[in-house]
Amino acid sequence: MNHFVRAIGVALVLGPALLSQRGTDPDEFEHLEPVLQAALAKAAPFVVAVETFGGTRTISGSEGPTDSDEPPAPRVPPKPAKKPENKPAEPKSEEPKPDAPKPDEPKPDEPKPAEPKPGEEGPPAPQPVPMPGSDPKPDENKPDENEGDEDKPGKKKGLPLKAPGFQQTLGKTTGIVLTADGWILVSRFALNLEPTTILITVPGRGTFHAQRAGEDTSRGIALVKIDATDLPVPEFVHPANVKIGQWAFALGRTFATEEPTVHIGIVSAQRRVFGRALQIDAYTSPANYGGPVVDVHGRVLGMAVPLSPAGRNAGVEWYDSGIGFAVTIADIPHLIERMQKGQVLQRGWLGVQFEPSFLGPGAKISSTPKDGVAAKVGMRKGDVILEVDGVAVMNGPHFQMLVSSHLGGDSITIKIRQDEGAEPVVMGPLVLLDAPWSEQKQKKDTDLPASFSLPEKK
Amino acid sequence: MHKHLLFAFSFASVLTAQSQDFGKAYSFEERKPRTRVEQVIDQRLPSIVKVHGASGLATISAYATGIIVSKQGHILTLDQVMIQKDRTRVVLYDGSVHQAQLLPEEPRFGVRLLKIDPALVNGELQPVWPPAEAEAKFRTGQFVVSLGNSFRLAEFSEKVSATFGVVVGRANTALRYRMADVKYDGDLILTDACNNPGQFGGGLFTLDGRWIGLNMKLLDSKETNTMVSAAIPTRDLLPYLEEHVLGKHTAEAVVNKPAPWTGIVLFERAGLQSPPAYVDRVITGSPADTLGLRPDDLVVRINDYSIRTCREFREVLGRFAAGETVQVTWKRGTKVQQASMVLASEPKK
Repeated sequence: MNHFVRAIGVALVLGPALLSQRGTDPDEFEHLEPVLQAALAKAAPFVVAVETFGGTRTISGSEGPTDSDEPPAPRVPPKPAKKPENKPAEPKSEEPKPDAPKPDEPKPDEPKPAEPKPGEEGPPAPQPVPMPGSDPKPDENKPDENEGDEDKPGKKKGLPLKAPGFQQTLGKTTGIVLTADGWILVSRFALNLEPTTILITVPGRGTFHAQRAGEDTSRGIALVKIDATDLPVPEFVHPANVKIGQWAFALGRTFATEEPTVHIGIVSAQRRVFGRALQIDAYTSPANYGGPVVDVHGRVLGMAVPLSPAGRNAGVEWYDSGIGFAVTIADIPHLIERMQKGQVLQRGWLGVQFEPSFLGPGAKISSTPKDGVAAKVGMRKGDVILEVDGVAVMNGPHFQMLVSSHLGGDSITIKIRQDEGAEPVVMGPLVLLDAPWSEQKQKKDTDLPASFSLPEKK
Repeated sequence: MHKHLLFAFSFASVLTAQSQDFGKAYSFEERKPRTRVEQVIDQRLPSIVKVHGASGLATISAYATGIIVSKQGHILTLDQVMIQKDRTRVVLYDGSVHQAQLLPEEPRFGVRLLKIDPALVNGELQPVWPPAEAEAKFRTGQFVVSLGNSFRLAEFSEKVSATFGVVVGRANTALRYRMADVKYDGDLILTDACNNPGQFGGGLFTLDGRWIGLNMKLLDSKETNTMVSAAIPTRDLLPYLEEHVLGKHTAEAVVNKPAPWTGIVLFERAGLQSPPAYVDRVITGSPADTLGLRPDDLVVRINDYSIRTCREFREVLGRFAAGETVQVTWKRGTKVQQASMVLASEPKK
């Protein structure tokens, strides 16, 4: 009897539950929608719009997109408010700023000395630290160069009637608030055109003029500084706490001012591009470059930037392809510090090529370009690199992984066997150079600017 | 006499044909819907029709999609070259083909209503409209299903394609179709539910089955030079639908708006790339003068429209008329300032 009652009880409890399960399957999208919108609401305040003005649209070769692969010259950090004109003769020990007048720009964009407003500049920008490598260049040289350029006969610039490949537009891009006192992280993509003016719009706080600071060309990110305080700062997730397969929402400001646009996807892979980025399958394109990729809690996993596995810039062929890269931020506070000082960070280069047929252990050198660090310290063809910073090198690709995660200026120590059967020797610390393909190239006369000016009558 | 016989015969054959259950002539087994996505698709597929029209040029696709918006046979679709009188046919969910009449188009959105004879329809039409106006709301981050006959993959009674995605955001400017700018000043719903040729004219539905948008052609964004999938929000189409389906007359009198004038003379030069909108001169007594704009100021925004170039300044200004008030944002030195400006009309010389 007891059993019978119990059976009825069980049936009463389980029956509806089982029936309801048969009715509809659990539908994760229905549950995800409020989660997504909550993450959006949480992230919206620190997703800023980046507008750029001016600059030159260069046209790159026919093989590809025109995302510039030329990083700019090292630049100095934003300087404090301009001094009033009582010190007109103050020598400027810095490279020309992007805001400085260019020959093909109609107007100077910098505040004129005639109308300085030091009192209104807000808190002073971080103190500039002179770059050890940047040699001071007197400002007065610049106009001369320009004039010389324009006056030389026989240097006619043809009109770019046909623009091959993809043209980057002047469209709005996205950025992330990094610190409450006005450091904004943007995509290097936003600065490809070398804009003369950068404006940052913080939602609910208005639009600010931004000064460029340093950048990391190996990650495709750049820092700018605005005069603002108490900005909403996101929570950054360390890549060690990210799992492949978790939701990843890519936000952007190109189209939306009220709430950011969103593309959804998952984390496809970790530590891509030599440990620099997450790979996501949410659509990324100029519509959300520079925007945060957030998790379901609205925390920042990384910043969506154009990158490609080779570590160079990616272009139109990667847009909205389901292969996107989000550079992780939480693991590079030391690099952010260097960028705040105005440094331009580039991928490191040792200068060895290895023998692909040699399967290890170790990496066998097949050649050493003479500009490289390796050639200068006496590495030769046939040498076998056994260790990098104490890590045993399995083979050539492993060696490349170990070196390519470094930046130019980093030091590494290498254990190498230079002759068959000889005792290995330790070389180092060796200071890596900037990778030559990312070096600033001299602007050629054949590089056509897409903006040109009619010669002025004299 | 022969004519009459022929007419009676054809009429009878049409009636016989309509009384057959077309859907069963080509059908296949499918399990019952379980998830919300499946339910929405099942619920809304009978309201989507295939539209076939005139062709002839390789650049004109002769197919599109439409949405049934009334039981009287009104079908909403994008207005395009293929939609021609006497050459537009509609294929319903059950595979039956109907000749469609053309109702007046809505030029602002580029949409047009078609009308089929409900008496010739087997069973009752299942319109997606009218919903209450509040139901047509959408928001970023909402999951959506897009239904449409992309690439004319669906023939006869085959179901049209369903794609799934999220409302990415909204855009109101700088869109391009092929080489021409899209003249459309409302908000568009951007989505990543894939839109392809043929999908246009189809519908965008939320997970609870609400119709929030009419699929646009695959557009390019001038902001990014990338393609975007977009839809016209249903709520913007309501006045047009109300006028032609319900017979409500809400048409406003067309007023010729006087062109706006700011008194700003920009520093402009000829060239392929228009320079940023630096102020060269400000005419005394003009709205810009009242605002305190000065030479060398950089105009960066009018209302929410970014002004990256002098060309954009003129384009954006053209959206307004004299007498309207706009928010102008400009940069002087490193200061960004904003104020409202009452646009004037250009003084006579």
